[in-house]
Amino acid sequence: MVTEMNSLERVEASLADEKVDRLSTFPLACGVCRRLLGDGTTLYRDWATDPHVFSSSFIESRKRYGADFVGGMMDLSVIASDLGADVRMNDQNTPFVDGHNIRTLEDYERLEIPEIGSGRAGVLIEGTRQYAEALGREAFCSTFIEGPLLALSQTAGAEQLFMDMFTDPRPIHKALRLITEYESGIVEEFSRIDGLSAIFWNYLWGNYSCLSDSEYAEFEADVYAKELNDLTRRNGLAVAVHNCADLPHLDTQIRGFKASVYSHAYYPQVHRSLTASEMIDKGYCDDCLVAGQIDPQIFMRGTVEETLGTVRDLCQNVKTSLCKRGLNSRYTISTGCEIPPGLGCRMDNIQAMVDAVRLYGNMYRWTYRSPIE
Amino acid sequence: MKLRCSQNRGETPRLAEGNKMATKEEIVEKLALAVENYKLKDAVAAANEAVEAGVDPVYAINEGLVKGMNIVGEKFAEHKVFLPHVLTASKALYGGLDILLPLIPKAAEGDVKTAVAAVVQGDVHDIGKNILKTLLTAGGYLVTDLGKDVPPETIVEAVKTGNTQVLCMSTLMTPTMEEMANTIGLLKDSGCRGNCTVTIGGPPTSPSFAESIGADHRDKNAQDAVAWIKANA
Repeated sequence: MVTEMNSLERVEASLADEKVDRLSTFPLACGVCRRLLGDGTTLYRDWATDPHVFSSSFIESRKRYGADFVGGMMDLSVIASDLGADVRMNDQNTPFVDGHNIRTLEDYERLEIPEIGSGRAGVLIEGTRQYAEALGREAFCSTFIEGPLLALSQTAGAEQLFMDMFTDPRPIHKALRLITEYESGIVEEFSRIDGLSAIFWNYLWGNYSCLSDSEYAEFEADVYAKELNDLTRRNGLAVAVHNCADLPHLDTQIRGFKASVYSHAYYPQVHRSLTASEMIDKGYCDDCLVAGQIDPQIFMRGTVEETLGTVRDLCQNVKTSLCKRGLNSRYTISTGCEIPPGLGCRMDNIQAMVDAVRLYGNMYRWTYRSPIE
Repeated sequence: MKLRCSQNRGETPRLAEGNKMATKEEIVEKLALAVENYKLKDAVAAANEAVEAGVDPVYAINEGLVKGMNIVGEKFAEHKVFLPHVLTASKALYGGLDILLPLIPKAAEGDVKTAVAAVVQGDVHDIGKNILKTLLTAGGYLVTDLGKDVPPETIVEAVKTGNTQVLCMSTLMTPTMEEMANTIGLLKDSGCRGNCTVTIGGPPTSPSFAESIGADHRDKNAQDAVAWIKANA
C-alpha cells in the first residue's frame, strides 16, 4: 500500500521506478498560462520578457491545476535572440525568429555571445529562479533550453544550416562550440537556483526525418550535447531531453545521453512512431522516465469528456505495459509538445487532463469513480 | 516537368560529328547526375551545355534534372539520405531550372497544372514546404511558392489570380493549425474553394483534422503528398 504522495515525492519515486500512488503528470502548459494571470489579458510579449510575469504564470498554474512537473519553456528563440537573430514578439502568439543573421559561411565565425544573464537567457534564468524557489519543495521544477544545434538553426535558418553542414562543416563547428560555451555558463547559473531539479535540453534535430545517426552524432550528440549533459549532471541537475519532432533518435537521446527524463511527441500518422506501450515494451523506460503522449490538438478541438477519455485510455495502456515490463512508475502522462498557447486553447481541458490522471493513473488505490464510465 | 516536348524524344540524335561533343543523352545524364550528386555547379554547367547544344529544354528538364531529383526523393523516402542531401540536391535542381525554364515556349506550358505552396501565418518552419515544392516541381507542376508566415488573404489572392488547381499548406506547430481552417474558410467565402484541391501537411496535422476543416487531403510527408496530388488532383 502506497500512501498519498505529494508531487515532488511522486516524480522522484518515478525517476527511481519505485512504487507510486499514481502516475505523475506533466502537461506542457507554458505560454498559455499567461491567461491565468489577473484578468486574463496578459500579452505574450510581456510573458516572454518579464521574469516576474513568466514565473507568476507557472506558480498560478501549479495552484490551479496541481500538475506534478513544472516546466518553464519560454520558446525556441531564446538563444538565437542572444546570438543576434531578430525575434518577433506578438500579443498572442509564440515569439519566433523572423530575421536570421547568418547568411554566409563566414557569418558563423562572426557570432558573438553576450554576457550570461544579459539577454533573453537572463529573463529565462531569473524567471526560472522565481518559480523554482516558490515551488521547488512541492513539485518537480525544471527549465527548458534549446540545444546548440537547434539554437544555431534558429540563428541561421534550418535550411541554410543543413546545406552548409553539407558544404563546409568547419565554421558550423566553430559556431556550435561558441554556443556550447554560452550554454555552459547558463547551466552554471541554473545550478545555483534553489528548488530547480532538471534541465530539459531541447535537442530537436535528433530525428530521422532530418538527420542520420552519423550527422546527428557529428553536429550535436557526440560532442556538444555530451558536454552539456555531463556538465548538467556535474552541477547536480537531472538531464532531461525534450524532442517534439517525429521519429526521434531514441537510442541516442535516451540510452546514449543517459537521460533521466525524456519528453516526446507522438505522431500516429508517421510510420514507425512508437506508442507509449511500444516505448515501454522496447525498454526505453527501463532507465528513463518517459513523458508522453497526449496529442496537444485535443486542447484546441476536444471536449472535456474527450480529454478525460483520451487520458483514461493512455493511463490504462501505460499501466498495463509497465506491469508487463516489470516496471513500477517510469512513465509520466504528458503532452510531449507544448499545449497550444493561443486564445483558442480550452483551459478546461488542462484541468481535465490532470484530473484524469488522478482518476485513472491510480496505481495501488482506487478511491474515485469515473465520471464517464 | 511533364511539359510538351518540341522535339522527337524517341530519336537519339547526335549534336555534332565525331566524339568531342556530348550527345543529348550524355548531357541530360550529366544533369541527372549533378542533382543526384548534389552538385550545383555541375547542374549549372550541364544546363548551359544543353542550351549551347540546342537540347530541347523540356527534354533536359524531364530526363535530366527531374530524373535526378526523383532518385534523391526516393532515397529520402527510404531514409537512405537525409535532409541536408535533399536540400542540396534541390539547390542543384533549381540552379538548372533557372537556366532551362525561361527557354520553354509559353505554348508548352498550356497544359501544365499549377499549385500554390505556403506555410501558414504565424509559422516560419518551411523546410517541409520547400521539399514538397521541389518534388511537386519535379512532378510536373508549376508551383507558386508564397513562402512562410503567409496570411490567409495572400493565399486566397494567389489561388484566385493564378487559376490554381492545387493549394498546399503546411505548419509545424499546433497553435498555427487554425490558420489552415481560416484560409479554407476565406477560400469558401471568396467562391474559389471549389476550383482547387486543398491538401495540408505538417507533423501536428492529421487526416481527421483535414476533414474537420474542409481540406481534401493530409499526408505524412512530401513524397506521399506529391504522389497523392498527381493521382487525384
